[in-house]
Amino acid sequence: MINNYKILQILGCLLLLAVVISSCKKHENEYHTIMDKIEAESKNYHGTSISSEIHIGDLKTIEITEGDQTFLIPERKSQIKSYACTECHTKPLDQMQNTTAGKRAHWDIKLNHANEKVMNCISCHDGNNMDNLKSLTGSTIDFNNSYNLCSQCHSKQFEDWKGGAHGKVIASWAPPRASLACVNCHNPHKPHFETRWPARFNTQKVKERE
Amino acid sequence: MRRRLKVFWSLVKDSVDITTHGSKKYHIWMAISTFIMLVGMYCYSIQLEHGLSVTGMSDQVSWGLYISNFTFLVGVAAAAVMLVMPTYVLKDIDFKQAVLIGEGLAVAALIMCLAFVTADMGGPSVLWHMIPGIGVFNFPSSMLAWDVLVLNGYLFLNISIPFYILFRHYQGKKANPKIYVPGALLSVFWAVGIHLVTAFLYQGLQARPFWNNALLGPRFLASAFAAGPALIILILAIIRTNTAFKIEDRTIKKIALVVTVAAQINLIMLISELFKEFYAPTHHSQSAYYLFFGLDGKTALLPWIWTAISLNVLATATLTIHKFRNNFKILYVACFMLFVAIWIEKGFGLIVPGFIPGPYG
Amino acid sequence: MSNNSNKWFSLNFSTEKKEATGSCGCGKESGGCGSHTKNIEVEKQKDGFDQVFDVKMSRRTAFKQLTASLMIGAGAVSSSCSVIAGDETKEKAQIDWEEQFKGNYKLMSKEEQKETVSRLVRSYQLRTGKTISMSSKNSEKDVLFGYAFNISKCQGYMDCVSACVKENNQDRNSQMEYIRIHEMKDGKGFNFNEADDNYYHEVPAEGHFYMGTQCFHCDNPPCVDVCPVQATWREEDGLVVIDYDWCIGCRYCMAACPYDGRRFNWSKPEVPEEEVNKNQHYLGNRMRKKGVMEKCTFCIQRSRAGKNPACVEACPTGARIFGNLLDPNSTIRWVLENKKVFRLKEDLGTEPKFWYFMD
Repeated sequence: MINNYKILQILGCLLLLAVVISSCKKHENEYHTIMDKIEAESKNYHGTSISSEIHIGDLKTIEITEGDQTFLIPERKSQIKSYACTECHTKPLDQMQNTTAGKRAHWDIKLNHANEKVMNCISCHDGNNMDNLKSLTGSTIDFNNSYNLCSQCHSKQFEDWKGGAHGKVIASWAPPRASLACVNCHNPHKPHFETRWPARFNTQKVKERE
Repeated sequence: MRRRLKVFWSLVKDSVDITTHGSKKYHIWMAISTFIMLVGMYCYSIQLEHGLSVTGMSDQVSWGLYISNFTFLVGVAAAAVMLVMPTYVLKDIDFKQAVLIGEGLAVAALIMCLAFVTADMGGPSVLWHMIPGIGVFNFPSSMLAWDVLVLNGYLFLNISIPFYILFRHYQGKKANPKIYVPGALLSVFWAVGIHLVTAFLYQGLQARPFWNNALLGPRFLASAFAAGPALIILILAIIRTNTAFKIEDRTIKKIALVVTVAAQINLIMLISELFKEFYAPTHHSQSAYYLFFGLDGKTALLPWIWTAISLNVLATATLTIHKFRNNFKILYVACFMLFVAIWIEKGFGLIVPGFIPGPYG
Repeated sequence: MSNNSNKWFSLNFSTEKKEATGSCGCGKESGGCGSHTKNIEVEKQKDGFDQVFDVKMSRRTAFKQLTASLMIGAGAVSSSCSVIAGDETKEKAQIDWEEQFKGNYKLMSKEEQKETVSRLVRSYQLRTGKTISMSSKNSEKDVLFGYAFNISKCQGYMDCVSACVKENNQDRNSQMEYIRIHEMKDGKGFNFNEADDNYYHEVPAEGHFYMGTQCFHCDNPPCVDVCPVQATWREEDGLVVIDYDWCIGCRYCMAACPYDGRRFNWSKPEVPEEEVNKNQHYLGNRMRKKGVMEKCTFCIQRSRAGKNPACVEACPTGARIFGNLLDPNSTIRWVLENKKVFRLKEDLGTEPKFWYFMD
């Protein structure tokens, strides 16, 4: 009787020990937090073989470098139907404005951007250089780089956009990065987004919650 | 070996003989049980056909009555040890008659547990994935893996030890204590183990604050040792009145004492939990609020839990008074009340509020 | 007795037992009767229910419950060895048989993974006549996926939810959605209790803000720890994935997830044939069966090929940002370094790889 007791006790202790030791296997993941892991594992980062090229496809892009960020944005001029302006407009703006004859071009573009004290057509467009835009101080801004214009007032969004926190990345997370430019989402003449209805409504959830 | 096989075969035949012959009352009882089983099998076939959606469970409350009953019955199974320990450890002869019945109850409860869990699985045909060797067994990481191990081990223990004793007695021989006593001792510790592991299943989930507290394991043990022996008392009472098997009054009185103490401890733990939830409520107490007072007008569980609490308190109070506890009629009623109360409170009174509110309120 | 055993396997209880012997039934008709005779005797007593049981009895069997897969296997073997059955049925049976008994995807070698993918593609072809492309691409080296969500930008459009459902072949009947968009009142902070995640009015609604949740692909996932069969695990590139064929449907992972990231197929998932997304990954959006878990995989079929997940692609406001955390030049790293980011339930120690920030 006593012998059985002792054997049982010893066996029990051994079993407990074995179980405890084997359960320490749980903490295999060597990093305490994800930031530690990121720091440690990105030290030897050489790039991946995955590239975004195949996903960007035949979208025309140009490469820009702003600050310390270099990335692709869609080429704009080829997408504007009525570009280049001077193909039709041969006279500069001040000469066009006083004629009564002839159609008023762009009569259907209503400017609804900030208010009339702040912005009008020539805040951005140059009457003497219609194929380009102009900055606050009058320097030329190419249509492909129209973001330089927007960033004059919207500097915070510009910083975010450069880094990738504002706006949309095209198709792929892999380098090289291709981001949509400002005008790809925001209509510069009427930037406000209207409200709309959500894409779906889950009727099953309603039933379940009754 | 051949002789043993012959004895085994004759044991099987005799057992079948005994279970299929009896009084009219017995046959009616078996018929009713079988009928309920058949209805159950039919319902399960519907579930196999259509999937678990027929049970009414949803992504929000993904464990329902199946797991609630599983949790409760593990406790009942563990409580069989309450009879084993005094018999073999304390050598209290009074318990000896009731031991085998207790072990039988443990086996029955365990089979029910395993059946409930199997019924709850979305893919019962792939349960072999859990078998180490041909499948993958996530031990020691997953508490469910631990649970499978300990439950099956306990089942094995509780089948083999009484079977050994039965086999020997069937041959008219005495059972060798050197063989069955270590097994019985092991099952005492193992019983505590199974219920702690089942409690840890819930206790380890940091996502469910209703369960993620230190008291859940001990609470499970206390309520198990209250509900299990209460059921045993009721079963012994039925056996006493309907068969020739003799059970001393002393035995039942001692078991009743065990039930009383366990029920008192259970109540103390309940008070401790209520204090923690309601004295300085955090948003983690929302689940307790839902259970006891309802949230946002959803009060479905209120009648259940308040019935359970009142029955629990009433039963414990009744059992505490010696005069009532020793009066068998009152004892049986109190045991029944206690069993029902704990079944509600530890069954779906524990599982369902753990999921409500969900992770996002 | 012999006709009883025949009956048992052909499961046709309805006709034979109509001739009731008239006795109370449970007597000793033939000594030593087993339990199945008892069942039949019981039915003789319950005449009122015979009508009900007659019809359903042939379907319902205890054997089916206990030996389901063996039956399928036996049927498969018999039909695949049969001379009479057509070649297609044989092949289908063979595929089903092999699929039933394959191992855990995580433990398979590359060849085995390719084999199971080709079996699944062929099986789909046999069943519907359509071809799908399934990938078993493993994780790339030096890639760790991370996600950021801009709360200021989200307007509650739910385009992401729609795109996700379409991309990942989720069950239409139960309207399963991996992503939840919560509409919260301004000024009350992140009050999830009072948030509405099933609104239907014009958005953005005045005085409210929106944010979305889904599986956060934790780096210390509680769901992975609790799975009893290791059917879910975290891949090298950080994605927490599920092997649908290995999952036993116990839903322990769903109880363990603090973020409501996982979904269960309570019934057979169905997608209209024309809406099935045919570009699939074994661990991603292939067709699931009932009784298994599924969840957001950061569109593993897209992200491992270099594309953005469907939700990122669909969001018109650019509120969702996805990328490689190990690439110091990625947008996600810029966000983490330059914006004030936070994660939900940080104190639980799950280390989700999904950050929130505001402009």
